[in-house]
Amino acid sequence: MSAAQRPGSFGRRIGMLGIVVCGAIVAVVAAVAILGSAVAPHSAGAQDVGNILAGPSGAHWLGTDSLGRDVASRLIVGARSAFVGPLLIAIGSMLIGNALGLLAGYRGGRLDAILMRWVDLMWSVPALLVIIVVLGVLGTSYWAAVGLLTILTVPFDARVVRGATLEQAPRPYVQAARTLGISDTRIMFFHIWPNVAAVAIANTFLVFAASLTAMAGLSFLGFGLAPGSPDWGLMLAEGFQDLFQNPLAILAPGVAIVLAATSINLIGDWLYERLSSRGASR
Amino acid sequence: MTTVGGEPILEVEDLRIEQPRREGARTIVSSVAFSVRAGETVGIVGESGSGKSLTARAIMGLLPRGVAASGAIRHDGRNLLELSEPQLRSLRGRRIGLIMQDPFTMLNPLQRCGQILAESLPSGRSMGRRERRLEVARRLAEVGIHDETVLDRYPFQLSGGMSQRVGIAAALARDPEILIADEPSTALDVATQQEILAVIKRLQDARGMALVLITHDLRVAFSICDRINVLYAGSLIEAGEAAALHSEPLHPYTQGLLLSEPPSDRRVQRLMTIPGAVPTADQVTGSCAFASRCQWAAEECRRSAPPLVEVAPGRLSACARLPEIRSEMADLRDVALVEAEAPVPSAGAALLVEVRDVRKVFRGAGVPALDGVSIELRAGESVGIVGQSGSGKTTLARILVGLERASAGSITIDGVPADDWPALRPADRRRLRGVVQMVFQDPYSSLNPMRTIGWTLRQAITAHDRAARNVDAQLADLLRSVGLSPDYARHRPQLLSGGERQRVAIARALAVRPRLLICDEPVSALDVSVQAQILNLFDELRAERQIAYLFITHDLAVVRQVTDRVYVMHRGRVVESGATSAVLRDPHAEYTRTLVAASSTTADR
Repeated sequence: MSAAQRPGSFGRRIGMLGIVVCGAIVAVVAAVAILGSAVAPHSAGAQDVGNILAGPSGAHWLGTDSLGRDVASRLIVGARSAFVGPLLIAIGSMLIGNALGLLAGYRGGRLDAILMRWVDLMWSVPALLVIIVVLGVLGTSYWAAVGLLTILTVPFDARVVRGATLEQAPRPYVQAARTLGISDTRIMFFHIWPNVAAVAIANTFLVFAASLTAMAGLSFLGFGLAPGSPDWGLMLAEGFQDLFQNPLAILAPGVAIVLAATSINLIGDWLYERLSSRGASR
Repeated sequence: MTTVGGEPILEVEDLRIEQPRREGARTIVSSVAFSVRAGETVGIVGESGSGKSLTARAIMGLLPRGVAASGAIRHDGRNLLELSEPQLRSLRGRRIGLIMQDPFTMLNPLQRCGQILAESLPSGRSMGRRERRLEVARRLAEVGIHDETVLDRYPFQLSGGMSQRVGIAAALARDPEILIADEPSTALDVATQQEILAVIKRLQDARGMALVLITHDLRVAFSICDRINVLYAGSLIEAGEAAALHSEPLHPYTQGLLLSEPPSDRRVQRLMTIPGAVPTADQVTGSCAFASRCQWAAEECRRSAPPLVEVAPGRLSACARLPEIRSEMADLRDVALVEAEAPVPSAGAALLVEVRDVRKVFRGAGVPALDGVSIELRAGESVGIVGQSGSGKTTLARILVGLERASAGSITIDGVPADDWPALRPADRRRLRGVVQMVFQDPYSSLNPMRTIGWTLRQAITAHDRAARNVDAQLADLLRSVGLSPDYARHRPQLLSGGERQRVAIARALAVRPRLLICDEPVSALDVSVQAQILNLFDELRAERQIAYLFITHDLAVVRQVTDRVYVMHRGRVVESGATSAVLRDPHAEYTRTLVAASSTTADR
């Protein structure tokens, strides 16, 4: 029976159409993030001084902000900082977290103990608070925030993969590989990993979505890009005072964040269902 | 013998079990009909996928969600399939009891055994605490547990046999007139199996209860059943009295099943096999269910499904060609059971494995898993290790392939000291890997589910010889040598049947051209008809490649069939060893005698 037909399964709940819509949203954001200012109707910093806080019009689809800048263009250009940082965080913590999780789960022993205590430590500190304190002391920087979030996310990835690896390691197929004299590295990455990949990949999508909102939150609080940069979190912060003159200036980045994060999460769920039903035996 | 009398108390007619799905219903049981009279023992025998367990659950009204039964199951003038859930509930336990296969999961782990039983006692009659405890203790005594402290123990504190007894006591607590036992002894050790079957049989006699025994094991069925129904791919293909069925099966499948099981009293030249694997009910609609695997199948067998008809007094068979092939079947039986000469243990060959006084104590365990075990194995020799679960036989195998390290003692394999694999020089370790390989018990988990067969075998080939050339040709050779077509390389394991998977697992072990294959219960997870194929394959490979085997099993018949010498292990020690035929004919150690006795009583009524 395929995953899509199991009662109550994800496939039935939102259907293939939902996944296509989610995929389209993420694809559009990704495309815009790559093309950036090339597809924006105006320059992100250009001020139309005569048209401050204007509503939507032919020239400014989403109106202008308090400095007369085009909201639509800033939304488009801001996609890059909204998307790229979280993507790097997700990929980075997947690579490091999966490697550590496989090592801890397969080798066990002291390495496992040390890694897991570190994970416990990370669980017990509030990540955003740590970032705010560190950035507050060292000075704010987008890339520093990306780096810090990656380091703070790795333990979560590592724990998930370690758990899945612990379940696989005693299985006869792993033991058979050991008796054949296949190296531990090969066993971990080529034999075990494909069997924990569903969990690992789904988790990466969750991390991606979570860091997208986290990065926007940091920007909103002023711990991301410099003020004035086109960035979804900053647009939220800057549009705040003029909520009633041009609500689109704040609604547009807000909706963009929610849509992107939700779509990424749903795609992650869908991929998990697909991947985990693939190798199911018996 | 029980007095079997009168009218049937349970009648199953035209039972059909289906799983409705969007793309059309999947048939699980296509046509089953049988009846049970008071005091009678009826066996339902079939391999996996035959639908035997779901038949039992349909009688109890316990079919899993999404599965529906049609037809009729008549009991006491009512059709059980039409009853409402409350009506069924009043029936379960009181009129029809059920014993399940796994004694460890059928008892609530958070309840003490006393509570479990007290709960199952008939309601209505109010009892004081003391009285109830006495009643529960009496019920336990009935199943052979006289130790009252069991009442205060939790199921996990009991052995498998004890748990199964408690389960039986619970199933019988409300004095049902029909007991359905679904593989009640399969999860237990050979010796315990016997005891459990004896308990069930004794209680049945004492209470005049009817028993429906569901099993995959013909030997078990023959040992206690009056009548046997043979199920294959969802339909009933033969039915008859147990003794008559035993002496002359009247359907090629039943005969194949009987002959493919290694006989418990002799070694035969070669086991008869049934080619292929058990099909699903849907694959065989519109033809004889067995046609695809039957050596006598003709055009008429493939054209339509032959009905189950009376072919002799009290004998039903669904074989359309029975009158023509009956004598041929008899001839085949005679040929198949000709006793083969016992192999002469080869004394001259070089010593390949020498294990001296090996001990293994697992951390936290008080009792050593291995307690001074010494064994020897010569090149090209097939040696068996027999024992029940917990005897240490698997631990010994794992130590020999370096998956576990011995606590003390010495091991030499092909001249290399192998008691501490991690400490070996890489060159020595690689050499050892090329000498010893292992085949695991469960073919369902011993192949990587996410990788194709080809990938898995390629890994094995290159692990042994990094510079291996024409890997693809080697791969095809390997698959052919275990009787599979090279096309299998493209498939993932989940497309393969259990027997095919075990063939791949054997091919993987052969990839490094080992001189010793350690086989840990390699056929116990397989269907009987497939077991014989794999046992014959081991035989062929041995003749072709002069491989030595260390064959670990609980099954004495298997040991007799495939080994020259045997070690009997009990509680971490070797209690007896010698030529297999001699040990089984004339066991000296007390424990071996129990084993031999247990396995021969199952075989002969």
